[in-house]
Formats: sequence, C-alpha cells, structure tokens
Amino acid sequence: MADDDPVNGTSDENSEKSQQKKQAKYDSGAADLEKVTDYAEEKEISNQNVANAISAIGDRRNQAALEKQAREKELLKVSIRKEDVDLIVKEMEISRPKAERTLRENHGNVVNALTSLTN
Amino acid sequence: MPSSNPLPPKENALFKRILKSYEHKQYKNGLKFAKQILSNPKYQEHGETLAMKGLTLNCLGRKEEAYEYVRRGLRNDLKSHVCWHVYGLLQRSDKKYDEAIKCYRNALKWDKDNIQILRDLSLLQIQMRDLEGYRDTRYQLLMLRPTQRASWIGYAVSFHLLEDYKNALSILDTFLDQQQRLNNFDYEHSELLLYQNMVIQESGDLKQALKHLETFSDQIVDKLTLKENLADLNLKLENWERSEQLYEELIQRNPENTIYYEKMIEAKRLTKDSDIVEFYSNYDIKFPRAMPPKRLSLNYASGDQFKALVDKYMQKALSKGVPPLFVDLRSLYRDQQKVQIIQDLALGYLTSLNKVNKFSETETSNGPKEPASAILWVYYYLAQHFDYLNQTEKALEYIETAIHHTPTLIELFVTKGRINKHAGDPIEAYRCLDEAQAMDTADRYINSKCAKYMLRANLIKEAEDTCAKFTREGVSAMENLNEMQCMWFQTECALAYQRLGKFGEALKKCHEVDRHFSEIIEDQFDFHTYCMRKMTLRSYVGLLRLEDVLRGHPFYFKAAKCAIEVYLHLFDSPLKNENAEQEMNTENLAPSELKKLRNKQRKAKKKAEQESAQAREAQVKRDQHHKSRQQGDVEADAPQLDELIPDKLARVDDPLDNAIKFLQPLQTLARDQIDTHLMAFEVYYRKRKILLMLQSIKRAHQVDASHPKLHSCFIRFLQEVKENQHTFDPSVSQVITSEMKSLLTTKDPKVLNKEFLDRHKRSLRAALEGGLVMYKLDEKSQKDALNLVTPSNIEVKYQDVDIEICTEILKCLRNGLFGTNVQSQMDSFVAHCRKLFPHAEAFKPPREVTVQPQTNHVIESDSN
Repeated sequence: MADDDPVNGTSDENSEKSQQKKQAKYDSGAADLEKVTDYAEEKEISNQNVANAISAIGDRRNQAALEKQAREKELLKVSIRKEDVDLIVKEMEISRPKAERTLRENHGNVVNALTSLTN
Repeated sequence: MPSSNPLPPKENALFKRILKSYEHKQYKNGLKFAKQILSNPKYQEHGETLAMKGLTLNCLGRKEEAYEYVRRGLRNDLKSHVCWHVYGLLQRSDKKYDEAIKCYRNALKWDKDNIQILRDLSLLQIQMRDLEGYRDTRYQLLMLRPTQRASWIGYAVSFHLLEDYKNALSILDTFLDQQQRLNNFDYEHSELLLYQNMVIQESGDLKQALKHLETFSDQIVDKLTLKENLADLNLKLENWERSEQLYEELIQRNPENTIYYEKMIEAKRLTKDSDIVEFYSNYDIKFPRAMPPKRLSLNYASGDQFKALVDKYMQKALSKGVPPLFVDLRSLYRDQQKVQIIQDLALGYLTSLNKVNKFSETETSNGPKEPASAILWVYYYLAQHFDYLNQTEKALEYIETAIHHTPTLIELFVTKGRINKHAGDPIEAYRCLDEAQAMDTADRYINSKCAKYMLRANLIKEAEDTCAKFTREGVSAMENLNEMQCMWFQTECALAYQRLGKFGEALKKCHEVDRHFSEIIEDQFDFHTYCMRKMTLRSYVGLLRLEDVLRGHPFYFKAAKCAIEVYLHLFDSPLKNENAEQEMNTENLAPSELKKLRNKQRKAKKKAEQESAQAREAQVKRDQHHKSRQQGDVEADAPQLDELIPDKLARVDDPLDNAIKFLQPLQTLARDQIDTHLMAFEVYYRKRKILLMLQSIKRAHQVDASHPKLHSCFIRFLQEVKENQHTFDPSVSQVITSEMKSLLTTKDPKVLNKEFLDRHKRSLRAALEGGLVMYKLDEKSQKDALNLVTPSNIEVKYQDVDIEICTEILKCLRNGLFGTNVQSQMDSFVAHCRKLFPHAEAFKPPREVTVQPQTNHVIESDSN
C-alpha cells in the first residue's frame, strides 16, 4: 500500500477540508460535504484471473492507440505553409495549434480551412 | 526512498512523523517535528523537510511563507519526487491546475510508479478534461493496482467519457465477472449495473441494454429506475404491449408523473386528439385525485369538449382557491379559440356568482352555494387573463375590484404590480410590490420579488435594503448576496446600473456572476474521488456533462449579454477623463458663470471626498468586524481574486477583448440563440475582423434568417467588404465571394434593403432596421425613412407594435440615427405612443418620470 509514501492518502484532500471548515458555521449541510473528502481505504478485489484480463485490456488499448497514432501521422504528413497558418491565426483569432490542425484537416488548402472555420 | 540527501534513522523517523501529523491535520505538531530536523545544522537545508514545512504552513493559511519554503525545498532537492509533489499540491490548492499538472509530471519522472502522485494527477486531468491523459493515467493505475476496485472503475469511466463504449464495457464486464463470483450484491453493485446499462444504452445497442437489464433485474435494488428504464427501452424497441404494461404499473405507482402518461400514449400509438382525450378521461376515472389526467386532456380537447372540461377544471380550482390557476392554464393561450372559451366562462361565472352565488345560473336548485372567496378568485383570474392579452385597463379594473373585495390578499398586489410592469410603468409596479411585501415581511418570496421590482425601477439601494431583511447580519447585503451566489439579484443589479449609465458598477456585477460559474466548476473537484468511491457513477457522469455546458445556463447568458453590451458601449464612447470633461464644458461660458461653476465643482468635489472617506471608514470597520467574527479561523487557501473595482473595470484599455471573454462560452454553449451571433457581429465589426463577421452572420442566418437585426449586419458587412476589399488577403476575398453567393442574392445594399422591406411589410421591427439603413445609405431619404418608422397609423400598419419596439424607435430618434430636425416628428410619435400605452414611463413627459420614490415605512436603515 501507499502507506510509506511521503505524501499519503489524505494529503490532497486536507487542503480542501480546512477550506470547508470555515463554512461549517453557516452551512448545515457542511457536515455532509465534509464526508466528501474523507479518506477511505480502497476496497480490494481478489482474483487470479486479473492478470489475464489485464493483458487483454493492455493489448486492446495499444490497438486503439496505434490507430490514433496512424491518424495523427497521416495529418502530420500534410505539408502546410507558415504564412497560411499566420493568416488563419490573424483572421480567426484562434490558437496556433488549432489553426495548424484545421489547415492540415483541409489538406493545406487555406481557403477551405477558412471557410470551415466560418461555419 | 530515493532522495539525493537521505536522512539518518533518527531524522527519518521525525520526517515520517511530519507526514503523519500532516495527514491527521496536527499541523502545529508537524511544524514542531520539522523544526527539530531543521535545527540540526547538517540538515537545515534539507529539501523534503523544507517542502513539507511549507505545505503544512499552507494549511495554516500562511500562504506566502508556504511558497517560500516549498520553493526553497525544491531548489535544494530538485530530484526529489516529494518536493515536486508538494509543489504540485500547493499549486493545486491555489487552483493553478496547469502548473500543478507540470509539477506532478516532474515528480513522476523521479518516481514513475508512485500511486499517490498518479492519483492526484488523474484528478487534475479529469478536472481539466484532458480525457486522453486521464485514460493513460488510469491505465497506469490499473496496471499498478489491479486488485483495487477503483482502478477498474476509473479506467472504464475514462473510456466511457471518450465515447469508446466497446472498451468501457469490456472492462466493466471483466470487473463485474469477479464481483458476481463473490455474490456480493449491495447497493453499490446495483448502481454499477445501472451504470453499465447506461453505457450500453449510449453505445446504441438498445436490444443488448434491455437484455442486460432483464438478466440482472433481481440484483438491481433501485426498482423505480429499473422499471423506468425497462419501460423506456421497450418503448424504443417498439415492444408496444410490454411497454404499455410497464407504464401502467408506473402510473399505478405514481399517478402524478406526467411523463408516464405521455409515454403511455406513445406506447398505445394514439395520435388522434379525440383518442387522447378519451385516454385521459379513462385515467381520470381510475385516479380521481390525480391532476395530470385532468390538466393534460385540456391540451388535446377542442370546441365543446374543451369547454366542458375546462369548465369543470376551473370551477374546482376557483372554488378551492388555487392561486396559480392562471399560470397553470397559460400554456393553453396559444390557441385563440381556447382563450375565447375561457374568457366567456370566467365572465359567466362572475355574473352567476353575483346573482346566485354559484358558477352557473341554471343549477340554482341543487347543490350548496360557492364560498364567498370564489368571486375573488374569479376577479383575480380575469385580471391576469386580460393582462396577458395586453388589455391593461380591463386588467386593472378587475384587480382593483378584487382588492376592494379583499384588501389583505398579497397575491392581488403582486398581480397589480405585474400588470403595471407589463404596461411599462416600473415605478408604480414596484410600489405595488412594496405594499405586498409590507403585508408579510416574513415571506421571503415576496421580499425577493419586491427587490427585483425595485431593481427594475433602478432603485438599487432600496432593493439592497429590502434584501437585507433576510441576509446575514453584520455583513452588507450586497456582500452576503454575492457570497450566496444570488445570481438573479446580481444580474438585475447589473442591468439597473447599465440603465443608469454606471457602467463600472454594472461590469462588476457581471464579473461577479461570471466568477460564480467558475466557482461551480471548481467545486466539482471533490466529486472525482467521492463518486468513484460511492459508485454513483451515473450521477457522476451526469455531473461532468453538466459542468461541461455550465455556461450555457440562461443566468450566464443574461449576465454575459449585459457585460458585452456595456463593453461595446464603452468602446463606442469611452469614459472621458474627468478633468478633460470639465475643461470642455467651460469653453463657451462667460467668466462669471465660469466662476460659479468652479465653485460648484469645488463643493461637489469636497462632498464626494467626504463621502468616500466615510465609505472607507465604514469598509475598515466592516473588515474588522468580519475578522473578529472569523478569529481563530484560518483565512485558508481560497485564492485571493483581484478585487473588482468599478472604475477600473469601466476604463479598460481593451473593452472588445473583454467582451470576447464573455462571448466565447456563448458561442459554443448558446449557439442556438441568435443574440449570441448578433453580439459577436457587433464585437468583430468593431475589431474589423471580416471573416469573423462573416462567421457571425452565417451562424445567425442559420438560427433565424429573417431576424430584423441580422439585416443591418448584412448591410454593414457588405459596406465593409466594399470599402476595404483591396486590403484583404486573396484567400480571404475568395472565401467571402463564395460564401456571399450562397447567402445573398445581391451585393447592392440599396437593392437588398428594398427587398428586405418588401418582404416584411407588416413588421415594425423590420421597418426600423430598414429605415435606419435607408437613411444611412442616403441622407436624402430621411423623410421616407421617418414615415416608415413613425407613421400616424402605426398600430394599423404593423402587427408587432409594442412598448419595447416603440421605445427603441424613440431612442434612435433621440440619438440622431435618423438625422437632425426630427423634433416635430418625434413629438407626434411620442404623443401617439402615449395614447397607445398610457402607463408606459418611456412616453410620459420627463417631469413625471423623475418622481422621487417616497421613502417608505418598510425601509429600515442598514445596521452597518
């Protein structure tokens, strides 16, 4: 268990608690709210098959991650011009990453990218 | 424990005691132990101890020292995960979530499998909706602690939120598989099953969802939710009979739930109105005490059948004295025929009650007489009825009769106030409410209503004093209402300030409302751990989804709209420097007058100074009072937000960018409101962002293509394009050209304006926009434009004449939007409006408008 960890179980909840304490005077519901941040021991489950299940999940997850990576890669392959990104950022007042992404999604066509952003 | 500077056993034991003390909130002890380590010259710069000391200090409210110690600790031990973790916790308690995430990531660099840090990180990720990051962290947690329940649940939820239902379900399946073997069926297990069902339903596989529910029905203890879900799924899968049977059982269980009846009708596939009326009348016999069958049938009945039903319904309510009868029936008023029937009936009751004390003269022989109050409720109903139909005089007549009959009924005064409000007289309206409020000062509803009406009459101080009767003592009402997140009050306050031209004050109120929304979003933090532990996952996911669209709430919309309007106004006419303003006025004054003026100014200045000094003193007193109340209490870790200073707010350098901050949430969350896009246009028009103007127009066009205000946007857009085309980037021009083709038939503003006016001949709102454009495009057309918006037969020519639009026209005339030399036209327009709306304040001669509100016996002086 995490007991020897320097910053343990309740650490993050404590700061919240002291904050709620000062409200306790006025709120009758504060007692219930207090419980929200109480530390409770995690319930354990025991099973021998956990390992098998875990490995299956790990594999699937990797599959999903791979697919996503491939998609991102495909997008990254699209070449875009810096001036186009600048124009989009200036005209539409959006962040650079978003401008770049929209441009890539539109295969680098700045007119289409701008049009889609006006929708 | 990896650390670049390990402590010897004795000190290490002390360090562990610091941690223990921190966990048990014995902060003083923690500081003591820290001191013991740090007083040893060998370890006085020990990083982890310094960091922990800082964290402990933070819990005692000594924030500045806390930062100092934690930073010093970190500098002394940059490779310690403890120091980074502590720094993250500190940032987190300060709500700097992005910074905190960075700290946690650094901590994980030095200890990548630290469960506690991973947990803290996952909480921040879900709070910030970094869903993919959340999923990855939950994956690591599952790998590290596969025997813990929360590991599985958290991982499943992460997939659910990413709408990856397949993975979410397979993880839940695996997990439940193990649970079932334990035969441990409790409430939490039941909730988990219902959550699983929710995920299946959202994945779209309703058949599977139904099968799942049926399989586990005996393990689900929330029987009502189970049955409602079963009934709904069967309905969606078109298992009509089964669904009907289930809804029948649900109605048996609770015959007051209107949804059950509506779903039942769907299951029975009743579409003809007459069938539906019959359906309801059957249930009326079955459940004689239930309201829905009686009320809902009125929606579908018509003609004589409606008359018979509504007659019975109204008689019962009037005889019993049900105040909200009108509110209950109001939704029927969409149908003109029904309005007539109701009116005839109510007037008939009046005649018969006056004659024979019964609702009908024909049944004089049998049955007991109606109570004396029946006629009062009929008056009350008719007053509201005629008010709704905008027949102010009749409405007032009935309410006066009612008040004469029973001068002590509070509802009557509220209604009288409302009639006056609708008639455009906020002062008289507030007086009525004040009277109502004085009749029962312990009634908080009336108290709030009265305050609201006072704000509508721009009486802010009075409203605050009224509210003070219910707010906590010792704090000013304004402060207390802010603390309690009383948004309706703050928004109405902002609007009143806006009307009074106190723009800084208005902005302050709007920002306060905005902060409430931020706070509500902050408040979800606790639920990430709580809900996961209590297994209330359906509610948890519901909460997350609610928080995602929180600023789509009408309360936010209203406050944001006010803020944006104020910022636009401040951009158009910035507040002048006070001194400069005075200089300007003095230019064409005779020396003697100038001297007088100077004297006056000096006096005013002195007075203002005195007042502000007094205010400061009061503030100091209040603060002291406040502190003494809270003595001993830690002014804990709530981050101190910048104080909102009205004058500063009103003199911002970039009003438009500030407006955009309020606008952005609306653009994503209130896209279906045309006002969002019209305001966006106004902002971007002033920023000269042509494509964003186009964006606003396109979106507005989608919501309501024929909205009058949109027309003016189109015209201004066309002009902007025409004037500045040469400066556009070629790609931008291309976008504009192709988009305009699909939106507009012509590029000539004059033609466009004519087409628009021809299309909306009966709308005064359209005429106003068209007229303004007409004058702007060609000043020679002033006369035509004026005749368009202020014809002598205005109420005949247009079908949407009301106080609102006439006030707007008057404002345009006054502001010279139709040019100068319009005085005579304006005078006759105002005279005509006064005839149409005799109560409306906007058209009364100015002398009458500025009547000072009487000081009232109910207003008590503030206790401060």
